[in-house]
Amino acid sequence: MKARTVLAVALGTVAAATLLVLLAGASPADALAALLRGAFGSKAAAGETAARSTGLVLTAVAAVVAFRAGVLNIGLEGQFLAGAAAAAAVGPLFPDLPFAARAAVILAAPLAGALQAAPAAWLAEKRRVPPVLSTILLNLVAAAGVTWLVRGPLRDPAGDYPQSRALSDAVLLAPLVPGARATAAVLAALVLAALAAFLLSRTPLGLALRAVGEAPRAARAAGLPDVRLRSGAFLASGALAGLGGGLEVLALTGRLYDPFTAGVGYSGIAAALLGGMTPLGGAASGVLFAALGAGSSALQRDAGVPSALASIVPALAVLGLLLAQGGRTAEGSR
Amino acid sequence: MTTPPFALELSGITKSFGAVRALDGARFVLRPGEIHALLGENGAGKSTLVAIAAGILRPDAGEIHRNEARVSYADPRAARRAGIALVPQHDLLVEAATVADNLALLDPFAPAIESRRARRERVVRLARASGLDLGSPEALVAVLPVGTRQRIGIAGALQTDPDVLILDEPTAVLSPDETAALFRALRRRTDAGRSVLLITHRLAEVFESADRLTLLSRGRTLLETPVATTTTGDVAALLLGGAEATSRPVALSPAVRREGALPALDLEGFAPTGSGAPAVSLSIAAGEALTLLAIDGNGADLLGAAIAGTRPADGLLRVAGRSVAPGSSLAFRAAGGAFIPADRRAEGLVAGLSLAENLFLRRPPGRLTIDRAALAAAATDRLRRFGVRASGPGARAGDLSGGNQQKLLLARELEPLPKLLVAIHPTRGLDIASSEDVRARLLDAARSGAGVLVVTADPEEAQELGAAVRVVYRGALSPPLPPSTSLAELGRFMAGLAA
Repeated sequence: MKARTVLAVALGTVAAATLLVLLAGASPADALAALLRGAFGSKAAAGETAARSTGLVLTAVAAVVAFRAGVLNIGLEGQFLAGAAAAAAVGPLFPDLPFAARAAVILAAPLAGALQAAPAAWLAEKRRVPPVLSTILLNLVAAAGVTWLVRGPLRDPAGDYPQSRALSDAVLLAPLVPGARATAAVLAALVLAALAAFLLSRTPLGLALRAVGEAPRAARAAGLPDVRLRSGAFLASGALAGLGGGLEVLALTGRLYDPFTAGVGYSGIAAALLGGMTPLGGAASGVLFAALGAGSSALQRDAGVPSALASIVPALAVLGLLLAQGGRTAEGSR
Repeated sequence: MTTPPFALELSGITKSFGAVRALDGARFVLRPGEIHALLGENGAGKSTLVAIAAGILRPDAGEIHRNEARVSYADPRAARRAGIALVPQHDLLVEAATVADNLALLDPFAPAIESRRARRERVVRLARASGLDLGSPEALVAVLPVGTRQRIGIAGALQTDPDVLILDEPTAVLSPDETAALFRALRRRTDAGRSVLLITHRLAEVFESADRLTLLSRGRTLLETPVATTTTGDVAALLLGGAEATSRPVALSPAVRREGALPALDLEGFAPTGSGAPAVSLSIAAGEALTLLAIDGNGADLLGAAIAGTRPADGLLRVAGRSVAPGSSLAFRAAGGAFIPADRRAEGLVAGLSLAENLFLRRPPGRLTIDRAALAAAATDRLRRFGVRASGPGARAGDLSGGNQQKLLLARELEPLPKLLVAIHPTRGLDIASSEDVRARLLDAARSGAGVLVVTADPEEAQELGAAVRVVYRGALSPPLPPSTSLAELGRFMAGLAA
C-alpha cells in the first residue's frame, strides 16, 4: 500500500469526521479532546481501550490469516461466540483451581472456534461451497446456539437473567494495573499478532499460505498441499477468533449472555482491511477501533456528539481505503 | 474525398509500470488498407503499445492521432466506438456462458432481448464470414480448448466491422488451415480499405501476409518498413540483436538414452477423466525427450496436465519407477516430476510474489525461518544463469514480460534436475531468441538425464526439438515419428489424414 494512499484516506476520514462533528453542532477541537480523554485520558480510559482491543486484535489477525490464504472467513463472529461459549462452559468447572480453569478456557476456546469453522472448511474443499456463504450462515447458528445455551444447559440457576454461571473471581484474569480493566489478555493478543506477522513473512509455511491465497492453481501445480494449507488457515483463523471469545469471558465478562457481541467479528474484518491485510496493520487498526469505541461515551457525554460517530469513522476509513485500492486496480492492471 | 494517409498514428509514446519502462518514445503508424505486423522480442512493449491504441491503457506521454485528428480514449469502449477493436492474446470471455452468449456480449449492436435462436444464428453467420471454426453455439466457454476460445475472440471483434482491427498473437493456437483462412479474411478487410495490426512472432507469416512491419525493441521503434523492401534474415537479425544476450546452451543434438535407469515416465491405459479420449500407453526413458504434437483441442494439453496431476485422470502412471496417484500434483512432484503448464500466468507463477519467492516456493533456504540473505543470493544467481531480465530478485513476478516469466518458470522447474519434466507449449507467445533458449534448456535437461515431455502445436518446433514426435489426434497417439519428418507429413498426421 502506498504511503500516499494511506495519507489521502486518513485526511479524507478526518475531514469527514470533522464535518460530522460540525453537523452535530459541536466544536471539532472539543470533540477530539473528549474522544482522546475517553480513550487514553486516564488509567481507567486507557485500560478500557486496551480491554476492548483484545477481541478486535484477535479477530483482525484471524481475518488476515484466513484472507491471505484465500479463505474469505466471514464467520469470525460465530467463531468468537463459540470460543466464548466454550469458555463459559469449562471455566466454572474448577472454581478453586484457577490455573486449571484458565488452562481449560485457553484450550477449549480456540478448539471451539476451530470446530465452528470446520464445517465451512469441509464444505469449501469437498463441496465447493463458498466460505462467504457458509460462514455467514454458521454465524446465525452460533448466535442461536448462544441464545439456547444461556437459557438451557449453561443457565445460571441462581440468577434471574438468561446468562451462564459466572467464573469465580479467582479464575478471572486480574487487571494489569489496579483500577484499569486491561489484563494480560491484550498482551497475549498482541504477541499472537506479532507471531502471525512473523509466520506469514518469514517462514516457509507463511510463504506457502500466501502463494495458495494469491494463486491457488499455480500453488497446487507447483506441488504445494493447497487443500491442507487452506483448511489449516481456516481452522487457525477460527481458533484465533475463538480464543478472542474465550479471553473476553476470562478477562472481562466472566460469563456468557445473550447477545454476547456487538459485531466484534465483523469489526475484526474491517480492521484487517484497514490494516492492509497484514497482522500488525490489522492489530493496529483493532487498537484504533477500540480507542474510538472507548472514547465514544466521553464524546457523547462531554462534547454532545452522538457516540455513533465512533462506528461511522472507522467505517468511512475502510470504505475510503477500498475506494482508493479499487481505483488503483482498475488503472494499474496491465 | 481523399484518403487520409494514416488510419492510426502513435508518436512519442512512453509508458512505465513501476520501475519498468515498457515504452520509451515509441512511434507507430498504421495506413488504411494494410496488414501491418508489429514485431519485437518479449518485453519490447508490443502488447503495451496496442493496449494504448485500443484505449485499455493510457500513455504517460505521447500522442494518438486517428485519421489526422488527435484523440484520447477514456476506455476500450470509446476506442471501439471509434472503430478500433483489439483481440487480446489471452481471451477475456465469460467462462460460465455459452459461445452464443459470449458473442452476443461482444456485439455492441445486439438487441437487449434476443432469442436463443438469434444468438445461435449469429454464431453460424460469424463462423461462415470469418472462416473460423467456433464450435457448438451452446457449448460452455469454460470447457472449450484455448484455440477455440481464441477464434471466438477474433470472431467477436470482427462482427463490429472495425476500421482498425488489432490482433495480439492470433495464430499461435490456430491450425495451418485456420491461419490461412484467417489471413484470407483479413485480406478481404484490407481490400475494402480497412486496416489490420498484427502482433506475431512468426516471421514466415509476416512475409507471406503483411504489407508493412514495425519492429519494437526495448520500448522504442527500431524499424518501420514495407515488407517488400526487407528480408526475413534482416528482420530476424534485428530481432535477435534486440533481445538480451543469454548464456545459451548450443549444439542441439538429439538426447542420448541412458541405459540402466528406470524409465522417467510410464503410462499404461492412461487417460484424462471424462475427456472421452482413448487410454494411451507410452514410456519415456531417463535422458530421453519426446514431443507430443497436436492441434489444440486434440487432448495433448489435457494429457500433459493429467500426467502432472493438475487434471484428474485414470490409469497407471509411474514417474521414475514410482507409482503416482493420477490427479495429484503432490504425488507427481514427490516422485521427481516437474511441470511447465500451458497457462503460465494462472498455473505457473504467483504474480504477486517476488521472483525469489516464486523460485523457492516449496523449499526456501533456511530451516524454520526463511534465510532472506540466502534466498536473495540463490535467486540472483539463478536469475542470471537462466537469463531472466528483471530489476532484481525482489521484483514482482507479475511485472515480468511473458518471455521472462517463462524463463523464471524454467529456472524453478529445472533446478534441481527433475526425473521428468512435462512442458506444455513452453515457447507459446515467446520471441525467437527466447524460444530457442527455452528449447535448448529443455534438451539440456534431457541430456543431463531427465525425461522430457514437450507438448506443442507447432510442427516446426517439433522438428527443431530433434526428439521423437508422436502426434495426438483426438486423444490417440500416432506411432513415433522421427523429427526429420517433413512438415507436410506432420501436418497430415495432425489433421488426422495419415493412416
